[in-house]
Amino acid sequence: MLSAALAPSLDFTREHLRAPLTLVLLVAIPVFFVLIFASVLGDFAKALGGTLAAQSATAISAGWAAAFLSGTLALFQVSSSRGADRRLSAAGLGPWRVASARIAAALAIGLTVSAFAFVTLWLRSGIGHPLHAAVAIASFAVIYIGLGALIGALVKGALEGSLLVVLLFSLDAFSSPEMTSSSSFAWTPTRSAANLLIDAGGGQGSPSADWLGMAVVAVASVAVAMAAFWLAARTRS
Amino acid sequence: MTPDAASAPAAESAPAEGGEPPGPVILSASGVDKSFHHGIWPRRRRIDVLRGASLEVRGGELVGLVGENGSGKSTLMQIVVGLLKRDAGEVHRPKRLGYCPQVPMLWEKLTVDEHFQLFALAYGLDEEQRERSVGGLLEELQFGKYRSYRIEELSGGTRQKLNLAISLMHEPELLLLDEPYSGFDWETYLRFWEMSQRRRDAGMGILIVSHLLAERERLDRMYELCEGQVCNC
Repeated sequence: MLSAALAPSLDFTREHLRAPLTLVLLVAIPVFFVLIFASVLGDFAKALGGTLAAQSATAISAGWAAAFLSGTLALFQVSSSRGADRRLSAAGLGPWRVASARIAAALAIGLTVSAFAFVTLWLRSGIGHPLHAAVAIASFAVIYIGLGALIGALVKGALEGSLLVVLLFSLDAFSSPEMTSSSSFAWTPTRSAANLLIDAGGGQGSPSADWLGMAVVAVASVAVAMAAFWLAARTRS
Repeated sequence: MTPDAASAPAAESAPAEGGEPPGPVILSASGVDKSFHHGIWPRRRRIDVLRGASLEVRGGELVGLVGENGSGKSTLMQIVVGLLKRDAGEVHRPKRLGYCPQVPMLWEKLTVDEHFQLFALAYGLDEEQRERSVGGLLEELQFGKYRSYRIEELSGGTRQKLNLAISLMHEPELLLLDEPYSGFDWETYLRFWEMSQRRRDAGMGILIVSHLLAERERLDRMYELCEGQVCNC
């Protein structure tokens, strides 16, 4: 199963990296988020009664860049290839192997996006705990791969799906830690990863509860993404 | 393609008039029902597409499936292939099955060669079998110069040639073609029928969706679908 999934996953990764606009966005979106979105996030936090410091806002914006790009690319992996993936699956590869190839491609793209976001953050502000920050940024990407793939599998239209990803992203971003004085947003998918990233940006370590929380959500997201890719490649009812 | 139910049962068959006797039944579909549900309440509606559709195809037969737009031809084809689930009925099909969809289901950013590699993997062909099969098909359909082209760079006709070649590269027992020649020029259209007849003569069973009256004389038999049922065969 692994070797049969490897060749398709390389093709599926190549498919995305051959789009020139995607390559431009891989660089442009982290730069935009870290340089501009971070200050907007800081202003919103002040307006909402939050305590998000400028340095924390910069750090967390790198995570949002990885999340946004990975989520939308995962969505389009499902919505733009649904027919061809189902044909390949019915031709004998089967939905699990197609789904494994898709998830491998989505993770490869997500890690590439995370690397760009990490480097942008590093160049912009330096990071106290670079390893913690890199893991947290990659977690943002993995969590949004799950969300993007799930939306792609359930919502047929690419436009409607992308609007839904943007909506969830906005709700998640503006209810992240230190954004408001309210504690009613205690659980959002990226909560623990955001806590880790804020701490890493400030040069602090994080409690093990955040590491555990982040790992649980990331693993669950991979499972959700796998199920979503399988759903898109299976025989339709 | 993977089998949906048990392999098709062998059946005795009468010799076709003026030709080689057809082989055993390789595809049988009986009493197939399919409905789709569209919209959300209170505008949710149910559309019954197939209501007990049945057909058979034998090895060495070129069988047509005709009907008006919306009569359920493509839906029946997709159920036979395994892309769609049926609500009721039985389908027996062979394990080695080729399917050429009406609209090419391809990846825009991948090349022609990459498509052949992916489908060869799905069909379980090794590199030598793939190259031999692909080389022959590229020559037959005359699009070898596009091997390194991405799908987004191909014309509609060349995409359709690839769509057809993918369905043939593992030399299936049963070939299902859903209006496979849309976009073909006249020369390619004629070559397509020659290819089909050659394969039929070699024992392949072919079911082809068509709506052109002029093609009926090329077929051995024909089923007509009317409102989801076979109304003429």
